[in-house]
Amino acid sequence: MHGLVTTNGATGRVGQYTLENGLRLVTAPAATGQVAAVNLWYGVGSRYEVPGRTGFAHLFEHLMFQGSGNVKKGEHFDAVERLGGDINASTSTDRTNYFETVPEHALDLALWLEADRLATLRAGMTQEVLDNQRDVVKNERRQRYDNVPYGTAFERILRLGYPEGHPYHHPTIGSMEDLDAADLDYVLSFHERHYGPDNLVLTVVSDLDPDDVHQRVATYFGGIAARETVAEAPDSSLEGPIGGPARDMVTEAVPAPAVFLGYRVGAYGEREFDVMHLVSAVLGQGQGSRLYRRLVVERGLAVDDGGAAADVLPFRYTPSLMLVTMIARDGVSGDELEAAILEEVAGLADGVTEEELDRARAVLERDHLQSLSNPSGLADTIGSCTQLFGDPELAYTWPQRWADVTTDDIVAGAKRLLTEENLLIVRFDPEDPDTQGGDA
Amino acid sequence: MLQSRPELGPPQPYTFPRPRRLSVGGGTVVAIDVPGQQYAAIRLVQPVGGANEPLDRMGVATLTGEALEDGVHGNSSLAPSLEQHGAEWVSRVTWDSFVTGVDAPVNRITDATALFAEAVRTPALRAEDVLRRRDQLIERFWLDASVASTLAMRTIGGQLFTGRYATPLSGGPVRLQDVTPEIVTDFHARSVAGAAGTLVVVGDLADVDLEEIGKTVFADAAPAPAPEITAPEPATGEFPRILVLDRPGSVQSALILAHHAPPRSEVDLPKADGMSDVLGGMFTSRLNMELRERLGYTYGVGCRFDLRRDSGVFLVSTQVEAPTTAHSVTAILGEIEKLQTDGVTDGELAAVRESNTVGLPVTYSTARGLANALVEMVVYDLPEDHVDRLRAGFERVTAEDLADAARNLLRPRESVVIVAGDAAQLEEPLRETGFGPVLVRDPESLWT
Repeated sequence: MHGLVTTNGATGRVGQYTLENGLRLVTAPAATGQVAAVNLWYGVGSRYEVPGRTGFAHLFEHLMFQGSGNVKKGEHFDAVERLGGDINASTSTDRTNYFETVPEHALDLALWLEADRLATLRAGMTQEVLDNQRDVVKNERRQRYDNVPYGTAFERILRLGYPEGHPYHHPTIGSMEDLDAADLDYVLSFHERHYGPDNLVLTVVSDLDPDDVHQRVATYFGGIAARETVAEAPDSSLEGPIGGPARDMVTEAVPAPAVFLGYRVGAYGEREFDVMHLVSAVLGQGQGSRLYRRLVVERGLAVDDGGAAADVLPFRYTPSLMLVTMIARDGVSGDELEAAILEEVAGLADGVTEEELDRARAVLERDHLQSLSNPSGLADTIGSCTQLFGDPELAYTWPQRWADVTTDDIVAGAKRLLTEENLLIVRFDPEDPDTQGGDA
Repeated sequence: MLQSRPELGPPQPYTFPRPRRLSVGGGTVVAIDVPGQQYAAIRLVQPVGGANEPLDRMGVATLTGEALEDGVHGNSSLAPSLEQHGAEWVSRVTWDSFVTGVDAPVNRITDATALFAEAVRTPALRAEDVLRRRDQLIERFWLDASVASTLAMRTIGGQLFTGRYATPLSGGPVRLQDVTPEIVTDFHARSVAGAAGTLVVVGDLADVDLEEIGKTVFADAAPAPAPEITAPEPATGEFPRILVLDRPGSVQSALILAHHAPPRSEVDLPKADGMSDVLGGMFTSRLNMELRERLGYTYGVGCRFDLRRDSGVFLVSTQVEAPTTAHSVTAILGEIEKLQTDGVTDGELAAVRESNTVGLPVTYSTARGLANALVEMVVYDLPEDHVDRLRAGFERVTAEDLADAARNLLRPRESVVIVAGDAAQLEEPLRETGFGPVLVRDPESLWT
């Protein structure tokens, strides 16, 4: 199934500019009028963190909302909220992303706010602000990791998937100890090392004339100097399989056994990544996927997740991880579920039908196109393609990468990479299986 | 050289797009054309939700919504068919409505709608599929309730109401056991297959034949009857009170303060929502500034009205570091009292007015956002210019209006505070707040 939507009418209408200070600007038209989606991708993420300083890129993202030379604490949020705009930020291994969607007449204000914190954040930073946001981030960690069942799965997966000292060994949220150790001097030096216009892709999706947008961006960002020294990324090269099966068995207060599998696959952007992305869709994306059909519907071993059991974590600068996750039904043990999943994974090597591959392509294409169907999502995808691959048009043409992948490619990829030697397993089992709530 | 802060010109006036409306058979199509929006949102709205369920059929609407995904051939066959067209099934059962639909590329809208229509009107509803879905729903209920915030949220109904609202929308893990495949088939025949409803379509409709789509979806179904509205009875027991749902070892507490609010039709939304925005509806609201940005107790805190046809609830919700739980309760109460006593500042009034008027193009910048607005208009029988009327209401709202809303609609002395956390650590400090009696319960005892 090809070409669900070949274009949203915008291909070829992407504008690209580079300011003298190195800032890369991309413009694209919006499908709905009267809005401007502003999206900034800074080329810094948790891969730049060193042992003892984990969680810093993300803590820093919080600090970017705490005031700068000409903006008071809370004023950035206040200004955008008053405009009824959407505003937020996120940090991953590979980038830090700030975004706001505002009514079109407020584009200049959004650009000014972003420019001010890029140029003068250090002037607004105090120990009090740092202490407060450290507490907020520690509560974010509790809410997302420590106080939810299976919350630590992701950091356990990374620990097994990447060796000690590797930049992807730790999660972006960081550890409580390292957050406690963050000091003001390091905050200031982090901004200096990573936050420069030369490390920024700025995307604006709107109905405005691209040259007009360029002029405005030049006005607000043109006077900001590039970084004096460009931070060197830690070496994240990694060859070969995980050296598995690597296993982490966790017994704690969870409502049911859960199985998390991981396989090291190609870096985001490589052909191998695309093939394995399709493998993950055949295996576990959508209700037509093998894991859903077999383990949820036919055998009744796994909890109904709607068809979201497999995906690939996209890492640009090191091998990515294909993940498979399922939770056991009442009366099903972790061992039984794990064996059943591994059986389905092994079955891929026996062959995949054209229908399965077509469905997998359609599912991935649908998800991609849905992400482009609103101004904010389009700006984010363009920012990603530009920061990571230097090509904003990829946002529109990405589904073409799946067009010529064949069933033979899928089988070959599965045979080569979905092996015991390349496998990590994180398992959660309840402390006392008899106390599970599901019996009531 | 850095620039000074730009002065903004006046915003472009915004008018919510006037929908196109067609009567087709026993139903109505309501559509908004968004040129360039290649991903369409299609929603079928039927006015029957959980609130109308008899007490021996609680959860039937939710279970039916799930079971429709098994399609005309059963065995979870719908989603794979839609996936071939890049389309995605949508199902949302609320207290007041039964909404199904698809998101689909506009060039596949005919095929996707045909699949959707047969799934809604003539599903197989095989007994084994319904039972599988029911068992899965019950197990998922417990899984979801193992998350503290979900557990606390699901407890509100039983603390404020007797009757249908006392049990979660999905029927909960015990009452849902009573819903048989026959009950599902009966509910489906009467309220879903037999009731035409209203079809919402949003996207680039240049090449879309709305009449044909309407015929496909409505076929010969009869117009949907208006839902019956009966005011629910409140829960018994003393207010205010604190209920601790024991979750030993929790490093955070999920905290909710909830009380009754009037039904949706009796609430002046700009005044009520504007007041709620000041208290906890925005990042820069008072509660978030205090609990997150000053005290550092939480990742976030908010409040909102949950308004239905026959009743309403106001709630504040957050998750706080365990040792700060009792102080978080008093801090929330303190902010409510301050708002009731002192009213709002000029800056807050301006923020309420501006954020709910100039931001409308952002709110409605997606097909889903527009579709949701149309669905809301259908469910609550609102006029086509509802969004524009709301905007006008926010433009007119005064500081006195917001202060009145705080005094009339916030009822801390009639509240229940629900805390999902470590009772051994929390019970005494919560008692010391003096807010009200503290009761500790095992979460698993809530729905038996």
